[in-house]
Amino acid sequence: METLSALASGFGVALQPMNLMWGLIGVTCGTLVGVLPGVGPALTVAMLLPLTVKLDPTGALIMFAGIYYGAMFGGSTTTILLNTPGESASIATALEGNKMAKAGRGGPALATSAIGSFIAGSIATILLTLLAPLVVDFALKFGPAEFFALMVFAFVTVAAVLGSSTVRGLTSLFLGLLLGLVGIDGQTGASRFAFGVPELLDGIDVVVLAVGLFAVGEALYVAAYQSRLSETMEKLRGSIWMSLEDWRRSWPAWLRATVIGFPFGTIPAGGTEIPTFLSYATEKKLTKHPEEFGRGAIEGVAGPEAANNAAATGVLVPLLTLGIPTSATAAILLGAFQNYGLQPGPLLFQTQSSLVWGLIASLYVGNIILLILNLPLIGIWVKVLQIPKDLLYAGILVFATLGAYSLHQSWVDLFTLYVFGLLGFAMRRWDIPVGPAVIGLILGPLAETQFRRALSISQGDVSVFFTHPISATFLAITAALVIVPFIVRHAKRLRRKPA
Amino acid sequence: MRRSGAEIALSLGVLALGVGAAAVTATLPSESGYAGIGPNFTPGVVSAGLIALGAWLAFEAFSGGWRSAPPDNARERGEHPFHGAAFGWITAGLFAQMALIGTAGFVVAATVLFACVARGFGSRRVARDLAIGAVLALAIFLFFVQALNVNLPAGWLSPILGGAGI
Repeated sequence: METLSALASGFGVALQPMNLMWGLIGVTCGTLVGVLPGVGPALTVAMLLPLTVKLDPTGALIMFAGIYYGAMFGGSTTTILLNTPGESASIATALEGNKMAKAGRGGPALATSAIGSFIAGSIATILLTLLAPLVVDFALKFGPAEFFALMVFAFVTVAAVLGSSTVRGLTSLFLGLLLGLVGIDGQTGASRFAFGVPELLDGIDVVVLAVGLFAVGEALYVAAYQSRLSETMEKLRGSIWMSLEDWRRSWPAWLRATVIGFPFGTIPAGGTEIPTFLSYATEKKLTKHPEEFGRGAIEGVAGPEAANNAAATGVLVPLLTLGIPTSATAAILLGAFQNYGLQPGPLLFQTQSSLVWGLIASLYVGNIILLILNLPLIGIWVKVLQIPKDLLYAGILVFATLGAYSLHQSWVDLFTLYVFGLLGFAMRRWDIPVGPAVIGLILGPLAETQFRRALSISQGDVSVFFTHPISATFLAITAALVIVPFIVRHAKRLRRKPA
Repeated sequence: MRRSGAEIALSLGVLALGVGAAAVTATLPSESGYAGIGPNFTPGVVSAGLIALGAWLAFEAFSGGWRSAPPDNARERGEHPFHGAAFGWITAGLFAQMALIGTAGFVVAATVLFACVARGFGSRRVARDLAIGAVLALAIFLFFVQALNVNLPAGWLSPILGGAGI
């Protein structure tokens, strides 16, 4: 009941004409930029951050929610028509979606993706509405020790458990943690790793890191290794409407994918990649048309796309209620909150109730805007896709440098951006994940603060982390996540060649 | 056995970064207050972590290469070999922008960057790229300065752009 009245007042905020307009602008810009090949949701959000500098926090965050959803949808359009998944969460879509486009069924593929995203996004937002107050109630019991343990858990799952290599994931995380230390230490005022450069005293801005890694690094990489390849785009042929048969095959996939996607988003398990693959595998197993898989089965687009959106909404649960970002995009959103001096977490639901609930209500609105906007405008997004690569990347870099330069009006930030670009190039080339670095940069300083608070309360007694039950549980799960796979691997190896 | 010079160099780079961070950490104050940990505690942990990870990466690099790393041969990755000129043009564009933006202003610097990046991606139509870049940069400039109140330097164009920007 309390939740309902909070949500109702949230709609009061979200439906104000100005906020509605920010939502609309956000969804449009998010889709427009998200459609650009090579621009994933994280980069979209980072590049559009400067647009909101002069807005009030509520309007800015509502616009961001729109950008976040728009970027997700834009990305799938690109994947279906170009077969270049902009992000790992789109790989599953590319498997069937591009085949459908090749077979002249690009319209229904885009439609099932748009409608599936709407349905999954809306159900997931309802789940978010119901779940968030429960998590907040639980999290209000957390002290600094519990938060620190939770952050360690998030670090380890994002960096070590996912991805192709534990050591490379951890390296990325520690690079992010090191960058997070740059600047003035909030607790003691000591300057760390700033080397007397004034631009560094404020710390490294998450936008500079994200744009450097994702835009400059990506441009350098694509230019160096892919710019002389030719690429074909599928023309959008035939009707864009889904047939009755398409509907019949899509809706169970949407619902199953929502059930798979949402929980994965809420736990710190690296966002949306795993649920899209799980959904793809589920649909492949359950389908009555197994012969179509690999040649353009509509369930193979409907499922992963819905799972992607459900998980993207799920990611907002730990972000809003606990202040824990579990994907690079969420980390940048957290940076956007911090720009306004807001720290997401259980207390924000109490101190900034109308802002938080306004944001949640605007997710419902954003989903509807996305659906209304996207089906009729698909033709325009397709035009955007036809921008030649040379002009496209030139434009991306102009925007990317603009965001970095506007921080301090200084060329030093542009230089930092280039250094992160080189880093991003190397990380892409040698398969070092970039997500953990972005999360480490933003979450590292928060973890340090909680660690110090916990120890000041206990007067330096480290055992607090193990004697508080919630904290001990998080740390135990974390340890198990690292140790168990290690033991399993070694046990297998021992069994294979008996000593 | 596979051994990649780049992987060895990167591994040692991470190791060196950890050692460098540890050296800086040693210069940080350690006064600690109630918590018993000062501003040098976390840097110490992070430095130690980087050194350990650098050593681990180096061990992998020397014993058969990084595990499940992408193939060194670009063709096996479905790409073309490293194109130095492309990389160089983008780098040149970004440095030209750094040099120009303070004096020549945002519009000029962004136009040069635009043309350099387009060249890096294989475009030969310099005049077209400069023209498109100039229009885009001018549009962004006017939008940010007029609509969003974000300061951007007008530089050489300040006589034409009037009071806009700084």
